[in-house]
Amino acid sequence: MDPKKILLVDDDPDQRLTMRLPLEAAGYAVFEAVSLTEGLDKVKEVKPDLIILDVMMDTMTSGFQFALEVHSQNPNSEYRQFKDVPILMLTAIHSTTPLRFGADEDYLPVDEFLDKPVDPEVLLAKVRQRLG
Amino acid sequence: MSAVPRLSGNPAGGTHAPLPLPGSLVEAEVAESVGWLIRLRWFAGLGVLVITLAIPPIFAVRVSTAPLLAIGLGILTYNLVFFLLERRYKTAAAAQPAYLRLTLWQVTLDWLAMSLLIHYSGGIESPAIFFFLFHIVIASIFSPRRIAFAFTLLAVILLTSIALLEYAGWLPHEPVTGLLKEPLYTNPLYVAGWLLFFNSTALIVAYLATTISERLRRREEEVVRLTHDLQRASARLQALNDSARSISSTLDLSQVLNRLVKDTAEVMGVRACSIRLLDKSGKRLEPAATWGLSREYLEKGPIELESNPLAREVMAGKIVNVPDAKRSPLLQYPAWAEKEGIASMLSAPLVGKNCTLGILRAYSEERNHFTPDDENFLAAIAAQGSIAIENALAYQAMENLDATKSAFVRMVTHELRSPVSVTRSLLRTITAGYAGELTPQQRDILERAGRRIEVLQKLVDDLLDLAAGKVELSDTKAVEVIDLRQAVARVVNRYTVPAEEKSLTLELRDETQGAPLPVHATAEGLDRAFNNLVSNAVKYTPPGGQVTVTLRQEGGQAVCEVADTGIGIPEDALARLFEEFYRAPNARELEREGTGLGLTIVKDTITRFGGQVSVESELGKGSRFTVTLPLAGEGESASPLRAASASPLPGGEGD
Repeated sequence: MDPKKILLVDDDPDQRLTMRLPLEAAGYAVFEAVSLTEGLDKVKEVKPDLIILDVMMDTMTSGFQFALEVHSQNPNSEYRQFKDVPILMLTAIHSTTPLRFGADEDYLPVDEFLDKPVDPEVLLAKVRQRLG
Repeated sequence: MSAVPRLSGNPAGGTHAPLPLPGSLVEAEVAESVGWLIRLRWFAGLGVLVITLAIPPIFAVRVSTAPLLAIGLGILTYNLVFFLLERRYKTAAAAQPAYLRLTLWQVTLDWLAMSLLIHYSGGIESPAIFFFLFHIVIASIFSPRRIAFAFTLLAVILLTSIALLEYAGWLPHEPVTGLLKEPLYTNPLYVAGWLLFFNSTALIVAYLATTISERLRRREEEVVRLTHDLQRASARLQALNDSARSISSTLDLSQVLNRLVKDTAEVMGVRACSIRLLDKSGKRLEPAATWGLSREYLEKGPIELESNPLAREVMAGKIVNVPDAKRSPLLQYPAWAEKEGIASMLSAPLVGKNCTLGILRAYSEERNHFTPDDENFLAAIAAQGSIAIENALAYQAMENLDATKSAFVRMVTHELRSPVSVTRSLLRTITAGYAGELTPQQRDILERAGRRIEVLQKLVDDLLDLAAGKVELSDTKAVEVIDLRQAVARVVNRYTVPAEEKSLTLELRDETQGAPLPVHATAEGLDRAFNNLVSNAVKYTPPGGQVTVTLRQEGGQAVCEVADTGIGIPEDALARLFEEFYRAPNARELEREGTGLGLTIVKDTITRFGGQVSVESELGKGSRFTVTLPLAGEGESASPLRAASASPLPGGEGD
């Protein structure tokens, strides 16, 4: 069976490295994108089984936009086949982004938050929980 | 000297704005005088009747009783009519002209009655003739000079006619028989002398009486005018006082300026008012607030000190009155003023502590509108306004500085946080073995580095929280109504796992019986505050202990208590607990790393939402932090920024 594919969307190469190493060690195929647009392209290209998304890339909300786009409930969305792909969102513990308190709100297009700094064990635990 | 009806135009005249005399005062006096005349006339009418009937038998004289009684009854009759009319006017609060007509009719009828009385009591031989003199006096008092003289002339003509007609025999003579031994009315010398002296007396009396009453009238008008001026001055002072209070009740610059222009225009009773402030270049005046001017006028062009002599003079500290805007060489844009309908303007400098801030200007649609009084008044307003403006400017500068500082701290910490966070992740990746095997020494060193980075991370996070709180402070829009129960529950949930790991009991006790606890706050702020309190409780409570978070409503307050069975806080540390960077010694012992910012953040945040934080603690037994926040919707006092006055509860951790 092919390894499960994980797409990392994060503009910080070091941050991507800290996630790539444990994920690859755990046997996942890891793909990377450094921006919102590249991320969206890669979604269609790679067809990931899970996406890990940095909440803040070029703008404060681009991570949020990305998630909205991919998880769009619109039946005509070009990403409709991905609307059930789980998204883990990286947030800083003390960040004051509007997403921070939304984890229990219905409309939020992400499945789980992941606090930065990322602990490799926590990361793997959360990914395994989603991908089995 | 009670009555001063004003029949003609304003005799004071002059350049002064027409003074609306307090109408009620004048009307009351006219009404009073009419009433007085009517009361006197009852006696006059009765007097005629009594004398006609009583004198002849007593003094053995004979008079034409029937006509005289008719005259007496006639007087009483028309007086009754006047009496009724006056009563009606009084209840209907009639205007001044109605009363004046009434007065003129009374005088006319009185004089006809008087002439008849004289005719029937002996013509120029009549002893009643001197009564005419007091009629002249009354007319002079109650009517303007011309009318008084007209009446006097009428009297002269009537009496002269009676005298001449009786002399010529064309009018029957009706003597008081038995009064005179020889008739005088046929004595040409007597008639001539009488005519000369009576008529000149009448005219002189009229002259004297009108002159005196006119003087009195003028004096009285002066009094009325002064009273009016005083009332106006008092109203102005009151308005100035009100305006000062209203202006200094806010520190918001635009509010201060807008209130100032509005109040000034209203208090001075002028069409418009404006404030222009000197811009940073110090060469140009920019419109800062206006009342009553059109947009076009405001945007007519910049006021450059260089090309505007008026502005230059005012900025030099002078109060400048432009009585005729059309013709003033001082104006930079006279055509605009004319188009706007402005005929005169008064400008006062807004003088600050170190420099002139700008110009306060009042505009009138009337030429020569502003008096020296107005100049002083505008100067007083400007002086008061300057203080308020300077305060607001200082406050604004302070706020800007604070915002800049906070933004800077936020930016810096943000920039710091990301590398610190990534470094930590990188180190963990290595220590977790994802980058190959490590020797024990390498692992030890990397773990040390990791711990140091962790401290750095915490410090950065706390600094960012503190800065975020300060930034939000200037942005009250972020405050909304939030259910405290939900915010607290979220935090408690977050610590369920860490508490379990430490074998602590973490309990959320909701004593609200399901009622929400709405408070004015931001979700971030509440989370930050309670996150700090709960994490402290978990951190400083040894395994096996208990952390209890209680929610309840108390009066108009939402109360949340975070109590633990932890190490407690030494008494001398309580006082400094909320200071920035302060950490209690026993806390430092237990956990070497810590920023000492957590409780500062709690207090900052809760105070900002109008609440209070207090702490009770016993060393070795535990601590209890109590947060009270005003319930939203419990009256308007629950303003979220009532912050400054919030003081700690007993528990006395000081400030």
